[in-house]
Amino acid sequence: MSSITPIARSVVLSCAGVGSRLGLGQTKVLVNICGKSLMEWQLELFKDVEDLRIVIGYQANAVIYEVLKHRKDVVFVYNHDYFNTKTGTSFYLGSRHANEYVLEWDGDLLVHPDDVKMLLSLDHEFIAYSDISSDEAVYVRTDDKGDVTAFSREYGDFEWTGPACIQRKKLSYTSNHVYGMLEEYLPMQGIKIRAQDIDTYDDYVRATKFIESWSEG
Amino acid sequence: MIKFIFDLDGTITKSETLPVIAEQFNVQSQIEELTKETIAGNIPFMESFIRRVSMLSHLPVNEVSNLLATVELFPQLHRFIETNKENCAIATGNLSCWVDKLCEKVGCETYSSSAFVENNKVIKIKEIIKKENVVSHYHASGCTVIFIGDGNNDMEAMRKADISIASGLLHYPAKSILSIADYAVFTEEALCRLLHQLLDQLS
Repeated sequence: MSSITPIARSVVLSCAGVGSRLGLGQTKVLVNICGKSLMEWQLELFKDVEDLRIVIGYQANAVIYEVLKHRKDVVFVYNHDYFNTKTGTSFYLGSRHANEYVLEWDGDLLVHPDDVKMLLSLDHEFIAYSDISSDEAVYVRTDDKGDVTAFSREYGDFEWTGPACIQRKKLSYTSNHVYGMLEEYLPMQGIKIRAQDIDTYDDYVRATKFIESWSEG
Repeated sequence: MIKFIFDLDGTITKSETLPVIAEQFNVQSQIEELTKETIAGNIPFMESFIRRVSMLSHLPVNEVSNLLATVELFPQLHRFIETNKENCAIATGNLSCWVDKLCEKVGCETYSSSAFVENNKVIKIKEIIKKENVVSHYHASGCTVIFIGDGNNDMEAMRKADISIASGLLHYPAKSILSIADYAVFTEEALCRLLHQLLDQLS
């Protein structure tokens, strides 16, 4: 297996959280969507990524077993304090000792396969965002080129979904959110993608429709 | 300086060594059960080790040593250790008189348990290694220590190390070490990729 991009990059897939808002009783990457676990969908999308790092915490063994059914050469990174920390901690831990560039990806974020390929072909830093669809979104504000100038809890042009690609050396420990780690490096190149994150049951229903739309072209 | 300390059985070797001895000398049933329970953390390592050595102590030391020298190693990992031998060490609970030749083949510094040997037989265990003391030894020399292990008897060393990697190359790592490990890997490819990243960034 070889990396499809010339830059030395690691993908950090954060799957440590409890996922309590979804209400299906298990960590989100184990949830079945359209006949496969969310993790299996993610592993298919990242099959050409050499250094895939999966950050685990809640139900860690169950996540490991699910991953090993499909792929064995990943590096599992523990966030033992998953209950008291947020996504930024998992991203930091997953990025420690990784390659020069790190691509942050939430385990509960589904991105259209064509957009995944496009993002994995890029050899520079970026922040990806999508059309606003969630009720409790973090928004991004963009300039006329579409680059990200700010994050906001109040309003913005698009919804911050991730992923984001950044040089590993720019990251330091935080117990907070990923977007807080990126703020000091704004403005950054923005890229609009088709994506659906899965926080609530309504999101889960939307994710099912989103996956069904992939085969429609 | 960065120091990688490896457990031996099942981490560097493709099989556990005491069952290899047991199979060769036809005492496998008792040894295998004890080994399995020990790896799972159900029997304390020290108790299990004393019992296993007792079962095998009548065997000719030179034959055991020669036998273990033939145990297969994980080849990519072996290459990593050979290439970076100054940065690597082995910490094994096994007896030095049994594993010396095997460790010589691996090619880096080794810390092991020891026994009194007379007439080519193990008479008595002299010292059972505490792997966490090996970590402390390297810390005292200013090293950043990375410990790679798979069993319950690696836990204190992994807890004390700066970075710990649970290895699932041979069998699923003991649950106890997964509760404190920084990383877990299940293939040589993933382990060696991670070791190279650590070496590049921490050296």
